[in-house]
Amino acid sequence: MRPFVLLARGLLGCAAAIAVIVVIDGALDVLMAQTPFGATRQNAEPQVGGLLGWLLARQSEFYREISATIRAAKSDGSAVWTLLAISFAYGIFHAAGPGHGKAVISSYLVANQETARRGIVLSFASALMQASVAVLVVGIGAWLLNVTAKTMCGAEKAIEIGSYALIAAFGARLVWTKGAGFIRALQATRPPAALAMATNVPLYRHHGHDHDHDNGHHGHRHPHGGDHVHDEHSGHSHGPEPAELAGPGGWRRGLAAIFAVGVRPCSGAILVLVFALAQGLFWAGIAATFVMGLGTAITVAIIAVLAVSAKDVARRLTSVSEGGGALFMHGIEFGAAGLVLLLGAGLLFGYVASERATCF
Amino acid sequence: MSIALRRLACLLPLLVLGAGAAEAHPHVWITATSELLYAPDGSLTGVRHAWTFDDMFASYALQGIETKVKGAYSRDELGPLAQTNVESLKEFAYFTFARTAGKKEKFSEPVDYYLDYKNGELTLHFTLPLKNPLKTKQLSLEVFDPTFFVDFQLAKKDPVKLVGAPEGCRMSLERPSDGAANAQQLNEQTFQSGGVNANYGAMFANKITVDCP
Repeated sequence: MRPFVLLARGLLGCAAAIAVIVVIDGALDVLMAQTPFGATRQNAEPQVGGLLGWLLARQSEFYREISATIRAAKSDGSAVWTLLAISFAYGIFHAAGPGHGKAVISSYLVANQETARRGIVLSFASALMQASVAVLVVGIGAWLLNVTAKTMCGAEKAIEIGSYALIAAFGARLVWTKGAGFIRALQATRPPAALAMATNVPLYRHHGHDHDHDNGHHGHRHPHGGDHVHDEHSGHSHGPEPAELAGPGGWRRGLAAIFAVGVRPCSGAILVLVFALAQGLFWAGIAATFVMGLGTAITVAIIAVLAVSAKDVARRLTSVSEGGGALFMHGIEFGAAGLVLLLGAGLLFGYVASERATCF
Repeated sequence: MSIALRRLACLLPLLVLGAGAAEAHPHVWITATSELLYAPDGSLTGVRHAWTFDDMFASYALQGIETKVKGAYSRDELGPLAQTNVESLKEFAYFTFARTAGKKEKFSEPVDYYLDYKNGELTLHFTLPLKNPLKTKQLSLEVFDPTFFVDFQLAKKDPVKLVGAPEGCRMSLERPSDGAANAQQLNEQTFQSGGVNANYGAMFANKITVDCP
């Protein structure tokens, strides 16, 4: 456990540093924009310069080196090591740039009271799945069936739409459960606290069915379905116990998150794989894809841990104030759930246009 | 202190959303040359593009195409792919945006399109006729992908030619690396549409301006 804590602390430090850099970078951009001609910029359009521009430039460089390195590996086997190193770096930078995967995972973690450790597992599992799907699409499509790019891109698009629909559905579900918790927390803050304390009986009914409270409310399983979220109990003025954080059914929801995010392969990986296949080095392409996924997973895990830690800080601070704290935390969870839904819907209906496979 | 941290916690989802809503990076690189075609009466009738793809995308595009000789692709063998290319490009407005006096000009469907494969390079040729031929003093033509999935770069040598243009017409170029051009385009684009996302690629646009007397 201890090495894990140390690792987590290290990751958290890195993540915090990155967050600070992002904020400072943004602030500098705004300041700089005002100085040269004394006029303010109309709109905070993303800049080519700054951190984002730098990330994009590095990514492009690494990505372009991948094809050159695969070519080189045809005659010189040692170039494969270079290929793996570049792919790893590309994965790290690629995920540090914008993308919906980490946004969905982080929001899901925040909405669902998940632990940092689970965040790391989710990040790695979804990246592994993403890499596997890319290898499957190219392995079956190009290598086995020798279909054209048009067919393969069509398949890619279909998978993509499916993935976005899943994210939206997943978000809708989160909103549904978290919305219930939030509304209950809102209601719970209304009756005078003194009355609630005096009677020592919950003033509200849990999610629409009766069940006795004699056995306490930790660790029991509800007779129906058992897949719903347990943290509805935090409508009481105390915060959730640590043991409750990863409630029952959590792994099933976790798998749903991994699937929704991981089923969509990265266009970059597909291109690399097809190129490697054409060069007669499919295995090198597969290795590069998985190493890329490893790099991506590391970045996503850092961001996920940062998200979970920020929420923990918020919880610790707000738990000091009775009642309002629980409401605040429910609000955050509800907001994060809404974010997953928004992202899913946005991706599905094309508002996040840049994350669409471009077939031509 | 507690309030500040609460605010920080509130900002977190915004950060995450911001990350989600922003842009990708290019996966396709195109080296472009363009010819502006003029009719004998001096009006601009269309644009003829030649776009050379990077080798990774070229392999991808050529995947699954049957050839008589391995590794050699004839124009006929590439015919169906060229057709697919121009048909799909319609959705992206052919990545070509013409403007006269601030007004957008429309293009008809491409004609004379074909792909050729020479020295390991795949190039798409096609002509975009203007819906209405233009007689104008000033014209701007931008070639870019607003979503920046495709990175367009004008060829180093003779990227733009005026074919049959009236005497005295002058052409100038702004490449994406030109900082001043970026700032200007940014403002212009910002005015034209409020979307943060939609016009990201505009910063990487290649802008061709033609001034005629």
